[in-house]
Amino acid sequence: MATPIFVTAASIAAELHQAMLEAKGLALTAKNARALAVRAGSKTVGFKAITHFIDELASDIIRQSQYINGVSEKLSQHAVSLWRSDTAARKFEWLESQKLPHGDSLYDAMHNCYSEREKLSLMLSRGLRELEAQLEEGDKHIRTANLIATSSKVEASSAGDFRAQLEVIAQNITTTANQIRQHLTNARRLLNQKHS
Amino acid sequence: MQATVIYEDGDHRWIMFGRDPNKSEGIIDTNQYLIQSGDQAILLDPGGIELFAPMLSAVLKFVPTEKITHLFASHQDPDIISSLGLWDQALPNAKLYSPWLWESFIRHFGMERIEFCAIPDEGQTISLGRIQLQFMPAHYLHSPGNFHVYDPKAKILMSGEIGGYIENNEASLYVDNMTSHMQKMRKFHQRWLPSNEAKQDWIRRVRQLDVDIMAPQHGCLFQNQQVSEFLNWLEELPVGIAVR
Ligand SMILES: [Fe+2]
Ligand SMILES: [Fe+2]
Repeated sequence: MATPIFVTAASIAAELHQAMLEAKGLALTAKNARALAVRAGSKTVGFKAITHFIDELASDIIRQSQYINGVSEKLSQHAVSLWRSDTAARKFEWLESQKLPHGDSLYDAMHNCYSEREKLSLMLSRGLRELEAQLEEGDKHIRTANLIATSSKVEASSAGDFRAQLEVIAQNITTTANQIRQHLTNARRLLNQKHS
Repeated sequence: MQATVIYEDGDHRWIMFGRDPNKSEGIIDTNQYLIQSGDQAILLDPGGIELFAPMLSAVLKFVPTEKITHLFASHQDPDIISSLGLWDQALPNAKLYSPWLWESFIRHFGMERIEFCAIPDEGQTISLGRIQLQFMPAHYLHSPGNFHVYDPKAKILMSGEIGGYIENNEASLYVDNMTSHMQKMRKFHQRWLPSNEAKQDWIRRVRQLDVDIMAPQHGCLFQNQQVSEFLNWLEELPVGIAVR
């Protein structure tokens, strides 16, 4: 069974919601890392600088996920409305073919319904294109996250006594970035699947 | 649509959906519930057609469509199940449990893929993942064919219209003042419940259950001793008042 677009859009919203939660975790990691770096002093100056980037990245991802989440929820709503007006339109089409004595009295309602269907279907394709562009934007964040993860590993290795703790944090960043990437991949896969 | 987890034990969860700030005016506010266990989930009184899109978005944050294996409609009302035609498009493998009395009426909402499972008058117990759920008879409260859902492990009773009251979006999740809440619920129960006899029979049966949370389809939830306070209040309340 092909999946209705309203289900796909709502599923994408759900993936982005998860990505947003991960990014919130990332922001927390950044906060902990900064506190640790401050305590550790001069050996972790490099790491401390990185925490600012993590922080910025986390809020970028949160902002963007929330935005995509909103776009896809709206899209899902439009798709539901489209499904409803399409159902009505198909009934009107059938009625039209019946050449009923008072069929003309349906004219306005029928044509309003057809143009509503047209309008919604345009909105939907526009929304889908925007979603695609936004998901691509999300990939850029993932590349940044990977860079940050790599640099924090390098910095952690020269942090003396704090090495172990910072390595845990660096690992944490890598894991979170992977999870966010997975949600974006899922969202993209959903977007590319067959729709009805 | 706001979602609140009201019970959680491992993969056994109850989630309440409602208080939608974007709900259009003129539509009664409703509470929808999702119960999850293992690989299965049931949506209780999934709601009206106007609520479908926000409900779908909210539900999919917890569970994918293929794991929504069951729907439950306590009775035939539009605020309960007029969204059926859309769920029918969205859920690839779901069954709808509903009173046998309403089958041919509920089918008017449109149902091609979902399988209708008629609940017999005496009620029924089903398995959902690793738990058991009881469909408990609640006929004439208010609908002549009507069931509530009891989860003996979570000790939650989904009580349909009973305990309901039309709340605004800012209402708290649980009742915070029983005395004022009873005042608010009074008219609703007196007008909507047709039978004193059915009401007393239901109270007698609910008193035999172990209930931590009573979760109605409208308004605030009741917890712990509020449940017995509610039963005592309802016991004294004459219903079916429109007949004079
Ligand atoms: Fe009702
Ligand atoms: Fe209701």
